[in-house]
Amino acid sequence: MHTEKSELLQGTLDLMVLKTLNALGPLHGFGIARRIEQVSRDVLQLNEGTVYTSLLRLQQQGWIAAKWGTSENNRKAKFYCITKRGRKQLEVEMRNWERISDVIGRVLRLEAEE
Amino acid sequence: MSSPRESRLRAFAAKLRGFLRGHQPDPELDDEIQEHLQQLADRFVAQGMPREDAAAAARRQFGNATLMQRDRRELQTLLSIEALWHDLRYALRTLWRSRGFAVVSIATLGLGIGAATAIFSVIDNVLLEAFPYQGAERLVVPRIHGGQQSGEEGRQGYTTAEFLEFAENNHVFDGITGTGEDLVRYKTGEGTEQLYGAHVTPGAFEFFGMPALRGRVLQSSDYDPGAPPVFVLRYKTWMQRFGGDPSVLNKTFVLNGIPRTLVGIMPPRFGWFDADVYIPERLTRDAKAASSGPAAYWFVLGRLKPGLTSEQAEADLTVIAQRLAKIYPQDYPAHFTVQIRKIGSTVIGRFEATLYTVLAAVALLLLIACSNVANLMLARATGREKEFALRAVLGAGRKRLVRLLMVESLVLAMAAATLGVLLAWGGLKALVAALPPDLIPAESVIGLNTRVLAVTLCVAALTALIFGLVPALQSSQRDLNDPLRDTGKGVSGGFRGRRLRDAVVVLEVALSLTLLIGAGLMMRSFVALREVHLGLRPDHVFQTLLSLPAERYKTAQQATGFFRPLLARLKASPGVEDTARSSALPPYNYAETNMEIAGETPDQDWRALFQNVSQEYFRVLRIEFKEGRAFTEADVSDARKVAVVNEAFVRRYLPTKDPIGRRVRLTSLETAADPVRDPWFEIVGIAADVTNQGLQVPIEPEVWIPCTVTNSGPQVLIVRTSQDPAMMMNVVRQAVWAADAGVALAYSSTLEDRVNEQLYAGPRLGFLLMTIFGCIGLILVTVGVYSVLAYSTTLKTHEIGIRMALGAERADVLGMVVRTGLRLVAVGMAIGIAMSLVLGRMIGAQLLGVTAYDPATLAATSLLLAVTAAVACWIPARRAARVDPMVALRYE
Repeated sequence: MHTEKSELLQGTLDLMVLKTLNALGPLHGFGIARRIEQVSRDVLQLNEGTVYTSLLRLQQQGWIAAKWGTSENNRKAKFYCITKRGRKQLEVEMRNWERISDVIGRVLRLEAEE
Repeated sequence: MSSPRESRLRAFAAKLRGFLRGHQPDPELDDEIQEHLQQLADRFVAQGMPREDAAAAARRQFGNATLMQRDRRELQTLLSIEALWHDLRYALRTLWRSRGFAVVSIATLGLGIGAATAIFSVIDNVLLEAFPYQGAERLVVPRIHGGQQSGEEGRQGYTTAEFLEFAENNHVFDGITGTGEDLVRYKTGEGTEQLYGAHVTPGAFEFFGMPALRGRVLQSSDYDPGAPPVFVLRYKTWMQRFGGDPSVLNKTFVLNGIPRTLVGIMPPRFGWFDADVYIPERLTRDAKAASSGPAAYWFVLGRLKPGLTSEQAEADLTVIAQRLAKIYPQDYPAHFTVQIRKIGSTVIGRFEATLYTVLAAVALLLLIACSNVANLMLARATGREKEFALRAVLGAGRKRLVRLLMVESLVLAMAAATLGVLLAWGGLKALVAALPPDLIPAESVIGLNTRVLAVTLCVAALTALIFGLVPALQSSQRDLNDPLRDTGKGVSGGFRGRRLRDAVVVLEVALSLTLLIGAGLMMRSFVALREVHLGLRPDHVFQTLLSLPAERYKTAQQATGFFRPLLARLKASPGVEDTARSSALPPYNYAETNMEIAGETPDQDWRALFQNVSQEYFRVLRIEFKEGRAFTEADVSDARKVAVVNEAFVRRYLPTKDPIGRRVRLTSLETAADPVRDPWFEIVGIAADVTNQGLQVPIEPEVWIPCTVTNSGPQVLIVRTSQDPAMMMNVVRQAVWAADAGVALAYSSTLEDRVNEQLYAGPRLGFLLMTIFGCIGLILVTVGVYSVLAYSTTLKTHEIGIRMALGAERADVLGMVVRTGLRLVAVGMAIGIAMSLVLGRMIGAQLLGVTAYDPATLAATSLLLAVTAAVACWIPARRAARVDPMVALRYE
């Protein structure tokens, strides 16, 4: 219904944020947005604000933690880092993702052959 | 690894945290966003964008910050306002579409909530929180209990010396206070009024721990010798006598001849001793130095130290009392102990049992109301299974469905709660008006109790929620296609719930019949009570108690000197038929004497009530004579020692002899305030029995003697009028004050009012409450039977269709459904009759002129219930009979 978003979409963003934090260590929201932009090579048009919703969701699950620190240009910023539980979750999610994308990829190829 | 369930749980916990914390703006987040926008803009500038475009571009890239914040907020809230509003509108629409269901549910729950809240409020105010004083649950009254006295007996009045001894030497109280009663005459502009006064010992108000509403309470300096005389007024008296006028504070009133300043008015709930005024009284062992206070005896109230048991306290006080018994042996029985009693139980006594019975009845009513609503909601949910399934198929999440139903249930519960509060409020007003005075402590103010209300509302809301949700959860777990595919033929699955629903109906019928039978018995008893002949004619009679200043009216001659012209003058007033004087306010007499009859040897203590009356007394009250004569004018004016006795007297003491001419000796008159030497009286007449101890108790033997013989006892003026006696107040008051402005009037009322209040109010309350509960029970039972039958008929639509297709007549179907319902009703009625036969013994004591097993009442109430239940069965049965077999079978 109108307030509920597609779970798939939310899940993808969460997965990307989690992966970014795992790969690069503690980052602030701006940095995460830059990294996703860079990696997706501008294919993904991201409303950067949604990153913050995703960060809250991940925090609530205990998969990431946040603390205040100083940014590279010496300004106060909130840094997010992945937790131990978050790393485990990331592994699980990544395996799931690979399996699903594998299946979907095969199905799509099958359709194309017909 | 986190399972999906676990992560849902965590998300919910976060929402709950957010909910509990309440909505707070998040300044940190704002900073974060600002910082983010700033950096984005900086980057655009670095890429060569003009500064003024960069900020807009940054905002574009960031996206809708408001939307994002809403998303974040939703992660932290249980219900979003928008969704709630949507659901609310939807719930109202759905309920409007099934108005019948909504009205019945709301009315049922509302009745339950209203009745329960009203009764619980009375119980809480009267039984649990009657006394608003500091440490009220530890307040006790000590009494000297003689070894031969039964349970509750014992002396509760103590001399000043005894009180001081207890106060100074006990180890068990952390506070103690004494109260002495005093009838206070106070002069107003035109005459004298009477108040009930309480003399209190130093520290009394510190003991009670209640501040004054206006002015101040008594303080220690008020008790000093030579201190200016002051007093404190009770709220009720302030309202009644002075109309709540604040300017009376610090004015001076002449109380019993002493000018005293009013220094304080107490709050409404202060009503200690049921007194009108509180007067400080200094305590001293030196009898001569004692102030002019009249308190010969002190009523003692102590507050036990926390943690002490009654036994420890009684042991300690008994030691003190035994020391006192050596000094004042005449005041103590040979063997005694000091016993203490909680202050609550001193006032309520017998009323407590009635209240607890009513409490149990009303608690059951509330439960029945809740189960009724549960049944209704379950029945309704069956009809909506397809709707739920369709919604789920169209993509409504389970959460969403549950929330929808939750809002619907809450709307129902809220409406019921509103109705319930209104009913409770009105019910309480009626109840307080019907509550007889003297049955409850003066301190208890009966009002809507918010705590009680909260509990009942919770019960009702929970019922609505639980039984609204159960069907939603059930249907969301089931395979979505099931209800859509099937037309009801497979759904005989209600079976596990059916037993429970049937049991609820049986219980309802049983309970409701019990209540109805109780109400019927009370009603018959009340009618019988009204028909008891009082022995006098209470209509057109006005009466008042006169308080004569003792210093000017010591002897019977002095009193007669006041009364004779007064009676003559009143009799000549317009509207007055006749006047008389007496020493008791009908319909009660409390003056009792030991007695002997010449020539008879008493087998035990012979006792009788006695009353001093003028010759017109019997004529004014229309008391019949069985034998002999009433007093003549000469009997009274010459103070002859003659007597009239009642029939009960003859039956008890002279059953086989002719009483006329016999002589009786009224022993107590020898030691009365105005003693009579050699108190032998010749019986000259036998009067019919007149109620003198209330209606449920047999009439006591009574002796009347001329009022001129002794000046002991109260002085009562009785007037028979030819017009409405309620209009006589002013005429009588003016006449009394014209004769002597120092005489005060008290308990002025018509005899009819007094009879209503004293004799009928208690039974009327019981009868009223039982009738109300009986009616509510009847309504609930009708709803209960109806909802269960309607439910099972819906389930059986298909079966009925087949039957009819196979040739069953409408009448057969009708009969089948009605039989199902009536079977339940019959079982319930059997249980109900059995229950009331058992319970009959309990209310037997409150009944008069009818036994608890009265067959007429049993038959009438059973019939009433059966007819009502039959109607409740008829409606769903008729609907079943209208089933069109083609429609029912179409989807086969």
